[in-house]
Amino acid sequence: MSKEKKVSIRQAQKSDVEKLAALVVRLKKLNEEFDPLLKVRSDAYEVALKDYDEILTREDYLVLVCEYNSEVVGVLRAHVRERRYYEPRIEGVIEDFYIMPEHRRKRLGREMVKIASEELKKRGAGLIVAEFPFQNKIASDFYQKLGFRAVIGIFGREE
Amino acid sequence: MDLTEARVAGGGGKSEGPATENVDWYSLALHYSKYYAGKVDIIPKVPITGLRDFSYWYTPGVAAVSLAINKNKDLSFELTGRWNTIAVVGDGSRVLGLGNIGAEAALPVLEGKALIFKYLGGVNAIPLPLSTQNQEVIEQTVCSLEAAFGGINLEDIESPKCFSILDNLRNKMKIPVWHDDQQGTAGVNLAALINALKLTGKKPNDVKIVLFGAGAANLAAARLFITAGFDARKMILVDRKGTLHAEREDLDQLMLKHPLKYEMALKTNAEKVKGGLAEALKGADVLIAASTPGPGVIKKEWIREMEKDPIVFVEANPVPEIWPWELKEVGVKIIATGRSDFPNQVNNSLMFPAVFRGALDSRSKTITDTMVIAAAQELAKFAQEKGLREDYIIPTMEEWEAYPRVAAALAEQAVKEGVARRVATKSQFLDEATEITRNARLAVETAMKTGVIKPLPKV
Repeated sequence: MSKEKKVSIRQAQKSDVEKLAALVVRLKKLNEEFDPLLKVRSDAYEVALKDYDEILTREDYLVLVCEYNSEVVGVLRAHVRERRYYEPRIEGVIEDFYIMPEHRRKRLGREMVKIASEELKKRGAGLIVAEFPFQNKIASDFYQKLGFRAVIGIFGREE
Repeated sequence: MDLTEARVAGGGGKSEGPATENVDWYSLALHYSKYYAGKVDIIPKVPITGLRDFSYWYTPGVAAVSLAINKNKDLSFELTGRWNTIAVVGDGSRVLGLGNIGAEAALPVLEGKALIFKYLGGVNAIPLPLSTQNQEVIEQTVCSLEAAFGGINLEDIESPKCFSILDNLRNKMKIPVWHDDQQGTAGVNLAALINALKLTGKKPNDVKIVLFGAGAANLAAARLFITAGFDARKMILVDRKGTLHAEREDLDQLMLKHPLKYEMALKTNAEKVKGGLAEALKGADVLIAASTPGPGVIKKEWIREMEKDPIVFVEANPVPEIWPWELKEVGVKIIATGRSDFPNQVNNSLMFPAVFRGALDSRSKTITDTMVIAAAQELAKFAQEKGLREDYIIPTMEEWEAYPRVAAALAEQAVKEGVARRVATKSQFLDEATEITRNARLAVETAMKTGVIKPLPKV
């Protein structure tokens, strides 16, 4: 008998932390491909465990997971930040966003951004922004398709 | 030239193993290359009896031919030798097992390829190593060669660059572009596999296939097998990092740098078998190895874990990943290697001369995967008609009648798919291909008899 394939997007819980950390390390390693200044630290996994353990308790963070047949296959982390000089005064910043390769191209990413945006709006965000490596054309194309545009750039120089 | 140095650099060059002749091929190759200084030549194919003849072969008469082609470019396939001429293009970045040795050093290999093209397929092939390894420049250069050729054979270009070069050129050019290390090897493997399955009574969509080595040859084989109806979910590719699967850590890196390998990681190995070759082989029916030269690369104990009547192709050169007799000892039913001194040689040379013969005779605009499958099926059928045995699943290079057959099958498929500029029946294609390949051999024989081609010098 074949199992029914079920997808769901929900807010993360403490029990998800290990899986979240693993996905986030994959994301950071993907980022590393785009620039040597994004070289992943050897303790990245431990950092992610601690980091996610903490932010799951905080009001200014939103962490969504995507489940496929009860297995976590995607993560989206967003931060509600105050903009001190600009209007709108509150922004929702997508800081980490990763979906396992075999679950891409199924519009799950689009759905996660939509749900995150709605939730962030409820928390006062007047705009949503996303952070990703400058050279990541796949991310840039993805967000542009959803109506995002480049707002701020971060340039780096190694010293 | 210091022969000793070249031998050392080449790793010996003597055939190895009990079943083989003890010949120093490296020394012979150097000696003969010096004597002949090149393996192919261009000779006239029209009668010349006096200066007058040049008035139609060249000016003033030739102007009329140029004007005709100017009005209809496709006439260049009818009024010049373009229809039977291809370029064998390389950049010297991955030559044989020698690695990145540069364009000049690739030339002897490309010449050898051109020789086989002519002798077995009657194809005029021009060896063309490029003095660049930059992908964009390679693509631009090859594109601008289109007017001169009826096809392009890419040779010895490193992975993963070779995949995108092939794909881009296939899209841009209106003549067939072929990368032998991918499509040729895949086609011959398919032919051998079809017959091995027939002998063992295994079904294509049932078998579990393990491909050891995830370079150009095996990735292309996986892609071709899937198109031919094999079940991708039951295939497992294994590389230096272990089995390829959808959750492997380097998958994002592959997505950016090696799209075909990424695609295969997602399509194959549905069970997400992790580990190495040993784990992958548990319950497998078929192993196709194109990895690193053996012996001892594959262990007998791993083979023991395969299904009943296993099929194993070990194709590393010069020494297979495990010796054939070791495979026999652990009950492997069908064994093939890349070598001519063992039975069942899986060799590109069985495919590429015929593939281009068929593509050129049909003035094909491309060579699709389904055309390669038709060619592989015909090659398999040829062996079937001769009588399949465990030690005869694929024709040998000496069975020249196989080449026109494969050419005609491919040309017929080109017509069916609407990519042929010239429409004819399979039997017409067969007659033409038979005549052209026979004439090519006859020309060599005649030149040898008359002394135009000198006999091999004494060593």
